[in-house]
Amino acid sequence: MATMPLKNTMIDNTVEDPRQRAPLVLGNHDFTTVTETICRIPEASRPPQAWYIAFAVSSTLTLMLGCMVVYLISTGVGVWNLNNPVGWGWDITNFVFWVGIGHAGTLISAILFLFRQKWRTSINRFAEAMTIFAVVCAGIFPGIHVGRVWLAYWLAPIPNQMQMWPNFRSPLLWDVFAVSTYATVSLLFWYMGMIPDLATLRDRARTKIRQFAYGLLALGWRGSNRQWLRYERAYLLLAALATPLVLSVHSVVSFDFAVSQLPGWHTTIFPPYFVAGAIFSGFAMVVTLMVPAREFFGLKELVTPRHLENMAKIMLATGCMVGYAYSIEFFTAWYSGNVYERFIFMARAMGPYSWAYWTMVCCNILTPQLFWFKKCRTNPWILFAASIFINIGMWFERFVIIVSSLATDFLPGSWGAYAPSWVEICTFIGSFGLFFTLFLLFVRFLPMMAMAEVKSVMPQALHKQGEHQGLGDYWGDMPRGHEHKPGGHDVHH
Amino acid sequence: MHQAPPINMELEAQPLGALAHKVSILAGIVGLAGLGIAVGLSKMGEGASERFYHAYLVSFCFFLSLSLGALFFVILQYLTRSGWSVVVRRVAEVTASNVLLLAVLAVPVMLGANHLYEWTVTNRVMEDDLLQWKEPFLNLRFFLLRLAIYFVVWVGLSRFYLGHSTRQDRQTDPRLTLRLQRWSGPAMLLYAMTVTFAAFDLLMSLDPHWYSTIFGVYFFSGAVVGFFAWQAVVLLLLQKAGRLQQAVTAEHYHDTGKLVFAFVVFWAYIAFSQYLLIWYANIPEETVWYLRRQNGNWALVSIVLLVGHFFLPFFALMSRHPKRRRMMLAVGAVWVLLMHWVDHFWLVMPEFAADGVVPLGLMELACFVGLGGCFVAGVSWGFRNRAVAPIGDPRLPESLAFENV
Repeated sequence: MATMPLKNTMIDNTVEDPRQRAPLVLGNHDFTTVTETICRIPEASRPPQAWYIAFAVSSTLTLMLGCMVVYLISTGVGVWNLNNPVGWGWDITNFVFWVGIGHAGTLISAILFLFRQKWRTSINRFAEAMTIFAVVCAGIFPGIHVGRVWLAYWLAPIPNQMQMWPNFRSPLLWDVFAVSTYATVSLLFWYMGMIPDLATLRDRARTKIRQFAYGLLALGWRGSNRQWLRYERAYLLLAALATPLVLSVHSVVSFDFAVSQLPGWHTTIFPPYFVAGAIFSGFAMVVTLMVPAREFFGLKELVTPRHLENMAKIMLATGCMVGYAYSIEFFTAWYSGNVYERFIFMARAMGPYSWAYWTMVCCNILTPQLFWFKKCRTNPWILFAASIFINIGMWFERFVIIVSSLATDFLPGSWGAYAPSWVEICTFIGSFGLFFTLFLLFVRFLPMMAMAEVKSVMPQALHKQGEHQGLGDYWGDMPRGHEHKPGGHDVHH
Repeated sequence: MHQAPPINMELEAQPLGALAHKVSILAGIVGLAGLGIAVGLSKMGEGASERFYHAYLVSFCFFLSLSLGALFFVILQYLTRSGWSVVVRRVAEVTASNVLLLAVLAVPVMLGANHLYEWTVTNRVMEDDLLQWKEPFLNLRFFLLRLAIYFVVWVGLSRFYLGHSTRQDRQTDPRLTLRLQRWSGPAMLLYAMTVTFAAFDLLMSLDPHWYSTIFGVYFFSGAVVGFFAWQAVVLLLLQKAGRLQQAVTAEHYHDTGKLVFAFVVFWAYIAFSQYLLIWYANIPEETVWYLRRQNGNWALVSIVLLVGHFFLPFFALMSRHPKRRRMMLAVGAVWVLLMHWVDHFWLVMPEFAADGVVPLGLMELACFVGLGGCFVAGVSWGFRNRAVAPIGDPRLPESLAFENV
């Protein structure tokens, strides 16, 4: 195949000119070179050495997670430092943290799709994969914290001989439905979007095993006009169906807290506030993974500075929404005149967990303010560092909400304190191991970017050939001045 | 791309001129007459002036929300570098700038504060520990100061955007777009804070004991629904008046309809969040607010709101056909506007008539017609000497060529 063109690789596509849309693919790419750039990663006979090192570390941590879970179940939840009154600690903090991270993928693939944000095409596959892995990590925690884990299936409304039904009025049950629906739809979305690309990998496969495996996954995709038509329709419908899910999952998670009467938990802004926070942390995680990945796998022409800048802007916007929610909560705690409300907010800022509170404020409110400056939005490493801080801040947000409210509630006589045990800490670290293990497997074996979709936002997609317009049809509002250039035609277009 | 004949935007977007003049005067007369009737009614009988101020506040907040929804849309278009909406953006810019007129129309709310807001009455505050606690925030002087700040911010922002956009009609300078884009971030922050606290001040403090952190978002979500419906209606009327007949196509209506649909759902989501959390926790100091709205005939209004503001538009606007057919969209938009008014009626009036009687009569109608006439007059005046679409915007070609799936 053609070698990568080198000239004209780095025009600055963050320069703003309202007369025309900035290019989203830099360099002299045509359809062939895009396919080549993305496919060569899973097609390499051996991954780079760094991959092996990373995989060794993350799979070891996964093993540690497994050991912690076995230890927990065989011994009992007493190995955690949960107590009365703090019955939820790191377990639920981690659950909410991971579910939150799992929001960026579906937001990018569904909501940004409906909003016709073309730049999403370079990051959606990646973010969707991350979403699924984050939801997998999230699912572990409520499962193992229930105590008698062998009865966890009682969470589902399965008729049984004891005539026991779950309590449909409990938000914990709604969680089971919300998270499992979300996981299912996200998985479907991710997989369906991947079918054309899996077919490309199948067609390019050199070994029998690869041909068989990718062939099986590609579901007989041939790239015919009719298939594309159905595919695009299905994608649009799935996007419309997934959009409410982006809001509902974290809203239901917030109900876990907000339906109670506990000060600091019971407040009406919780649902949209949690959703904004989830998108905030999800985008931070996308950036955390994307910055090294584009560097490492040579994807800088596909994930351009403009993509990074847009992600930074979304983090700034959602970070401000989170800040808005913090301040309205604080104001209302005073305004309500309710002594318990007031107390808990003062306790958060100045009580035993104030260190966690101020970590949260610094990471979540101050860090994104960097993104008012273009330099910080476009410098990948500043962005990377900021995204790590945001991840830390969002973890602490959940910790502050959960633990501070439980530790000091209405009666001083029933107050308590909580610090994690080594088992809790190792379980959390282990969940990162699982997340990264799955992620490394993904980048090793599957196309990291939606090739077919990236091509649709390239100027070449405007080319018309009779009735056949490919996916470019949907993005009908391509800027003028990007008329057809004779370029490579891909198998599927 | 389409090989449609080029559109003569100069002609398509011609200012309304004499027509605007006529509409403004006519609507102004109707408006003043309506307000006159309302003021007349307020002098008749006991409690009439209190009812007048409440009815006035309903329609005032309704029209204010349309302007604020418009301001949100304008800022958002620059924030997101939106292309499709350029050709319909002037409607929003002019509607947003009408907030200047609303600043004048806010005077009766300020004058009637002691009829509307319990916390302005010294005797009541003296007897009530909670009101004393809130006194540093809920006191008349600070309230008036805050209202002044909100209106200064809104008038400033809306004029800034309308002014630059109108200047661009002649100069076609893309740097103006860049300038507006650059300020759109801070503008949105200012917008969010002022709208939230305005909702707290004007509406939530009608019951000064009650509080809900989501209330600002609730007001905002309704405002945006109302604005998009308004936008559809104004576009249809402009086309009736011979403007934008080729420039605004089914594609733009389709997108406007989608946004009405999306924000109808968003409004329902916010309303549901507030209701569910308060219902579930069942704390008397919070549930009392809903209790008033479930009492007697108010229960019926609540159901009308639930069905009319969510279920009906949700099913009616789900398919793409009604969004692309002008008449159907018009019916949907007028219905949504009506329901948006009911929403404000439902927010305000139970605080006046808590005994389960729904005061819906000539007074409410007169206030609606009065404020509506003034509002329409103001918007129409805005189109008098100004192109009805931003013809100098660098993204206009993109907007004209825009197509949905």
